[in-house]
Amino acid sequence: MFERFTKDAREVVQGAVADSRRAGTRTVDAEHLLLALLEREGSRASFALAALGLAERREPVREALSRARRHAGLTRAESDALAGLGIDVSEIVARVEEVHGVGAMAGDRKDAGRWSGRRVSFGQGAKDVLEKALRIALAHRDRHIGDEHLLLALTALPGVAAEVLADHGVTYGTVTRVLYGDGGEAAKAG
Amino acid sequence: MTEATDLAERAGDRDPRIGLRAVAALRRLLEQLEAVQVRSARNQGWSWQEIAAELGVSRQAVHKKYGRQ
Repeated sequence: MFERFTKDAREVVQGAVADSRRAGTRTVDAEHLLLALLEREGSRASFALAALGLAERREPVREALSRARRHAGLTRAESDALAGLGIDVSEIVARVEEVHGVGAMAGDRKDAGRWSGRRVSFGQGAKDVLEKALRIALAHRDRHIGDEHLLLALTALPGVAAEVLADHGVTYGTVTRVLYGDGGEAAKAG
Repeated sequence: MTEATDLAERAGDRDPRIGLRAVAALRRLLEQLEAVQVRSARNQGWSWQEIAAELGVSRQAVHKKYGRQ
């Protein structure tokens, strides 16, 4: 699959690995792919993000991702569902952090440096994004998988990345419109 | 009007999607909590056997899950 990735898409994947290693996480997650995408310049994805006004709002997006991570990686929809059961995720995180330090529920390691040489593996979420990107490229009859397909995949799969992007007006629909024009909507990803 | 809204809300509570989403989220929350507590116990010098006994699982299960950290 990777041989069909453009240089931009490869650099996003490499950036995600580097981000995850820096944070000391054992797996590369969909959120790491989004963090790496936000760093891109002069690519198809960065064009789409700029057109949707996200270029100036990268920092709030990073903060929202980091907040979700601190909350055990749960989306707001998931936290709301738990609130329906009387479980206050923020309260739990606050109490655990009181005892075990900020970011205790993030699954990151404080001794990140010791892990820097280790191999990181792709989590299911990140694998799903790569696979979805391939399917979206095929649906649009694009010959290569670019970073714009990674962005589309991130908006299409439910999770923290899609939720944070949608909060900033970046959805499957809006990205498709910017990249392919209104006709692009016809080529829905399977 | 209020009655109708009320009813709609209660019907929403029975939406299996919300219930299932809560279960999946709870599982994730639990996994993180377990990791935090196991790491903390190890840092305080607890043996795998002691941790396993508190969690109510086998020593092997706990060691396999957290051992190479």
